[in-house]
Amino acid sequence: MRFEEELVELLPRLRRFARGLARDASDADDLCQAAIERALKSQEQWQQGTRLDSWMYRITRNLWIDDRRAAGRRGIHTPIDEAVAQVAGDGAAEVEAGALRGDVDGAMARLPDEQREVVMLVLVEGYAYREAADILEVPIGTVTSRLARGRETLMYLLGEAA
Amino acid sequence: MSFDPATVAAFVDGELDDLTARRIEREATSDPALAAEIARHRALKAQLQAHYAPVIDEAVPERLRALLAPSDKVDASLAGRREAKRMRFAPIHWGAIAASLALGLALGLKPWMPPASVTEANGTMIAAGPLAAALDTQLASSQSTNAAVRIGLSFEDKAGRYCRSFESRSLSGIGCRDDGGWHLERTMRGQAGTAYRQASSGELAAAAAAMMTGDPLDAAAERQARDKGWARR
Repeated sequence: MRFEEELVELLPRLRRFARGLARDASDADDLCQAAIERALKSQEQWQQGTRLDSWMYRITRNLWIDDRRAAGRRGIHTPIDEAVAQVAGDGAAEVEAGALRGDVDGAMARLPDEQREVVMLVLVEGYAYREAADILEVPIGTVTSRLARGRETLMYLLGEAA
Repeated sequence: MSFDPATVAAFVDGELDDLTARRIEREATSDPALAAEIARHRALKAQLQAHYAPVIDEAVPERLRALLAPSDKVDASLAGRREAKRMRFAPIHWGAIAASLALGLALGLKPWMPPASVTEANGTMIAAGPLAAALDTQLASSQSTNAAVRIGLSFEDKAGRYCRSFESRSLSGIGCRDDGGWHLERTMRGQAGTAYRQASSGELAAAAAAMMTGDPLDAAAERQARDKGWARR
């Protein structure tokens, strides 16, 4: 199948992933558009026989992180370094447990970026820990610890299953 | 509770080895705290998946499709089909079938209760179990990312039967529907391992192109055919 056809097949999933990262629907599609353009431009870097989906997710995620960093420097978003993320995580605990019951977008928005991306990859997109680690280019232990913290925060904010 | 939180999470994520997973399952039947913890994790996962699922069904915006046009259709042209016919296919890849049977034909399900996905009738292979169910009901346009069986193309063959290409961990191929069920016309080893879909997708698409009359079914036609039980037109 042609490269472009493979990409077309991936689009619905890629849009879902981008929606989770960027939240706003049109921001998410902007992200997808940038990722597709990047992929078409660097097509020769993709190695035939390796997973195109992982490669696309990595491109999308890296573009998103770049964008967040740039925005952070302009003072629009919170920066994403570990120290600040930790504070954000603690901040969530000041909210009443179950305060965001049913509000998945709101709860996801409270997660530091590096937890949100892991939550999306593993819990929503269904990637194995190993695959998520490859996409994010981090050790597998980093995936599991970020996932654990993201999960705890989400369960706390959304309220536990009755 | 004798399992740490990370292990419970890994269990819910399907990351544990079979032995440990079974131990947790058994223990959960007599340990309410453990059972509750598992339920809590499953509930979160289900809530997240349900929240983001509708995005999959949304129409992909034209501005995104346009970047990849005009390639949103399989090459069903005459030249493409002639090309595909030149490629040689063993009608049934018995090696792949044997390997699949040896693997328990688990198709991503729990290996200790393997449902057979292929049966044999009058010398032809017929889809059964979860594979038959996927061929019967699953729509390519709305299947979940981690579905055990992924449907590729649906189309009509020269005999007027509906056929569908599919890929799964242990077995990939093309099934064609008649009264007896889904006859597996093409089979190849599944996507287990690292090579993933590249090779098999291309081969399957080429095989499908050689078999089909007209264009592959689009999402609406696929749904319609399914709702009519894949009866010949």
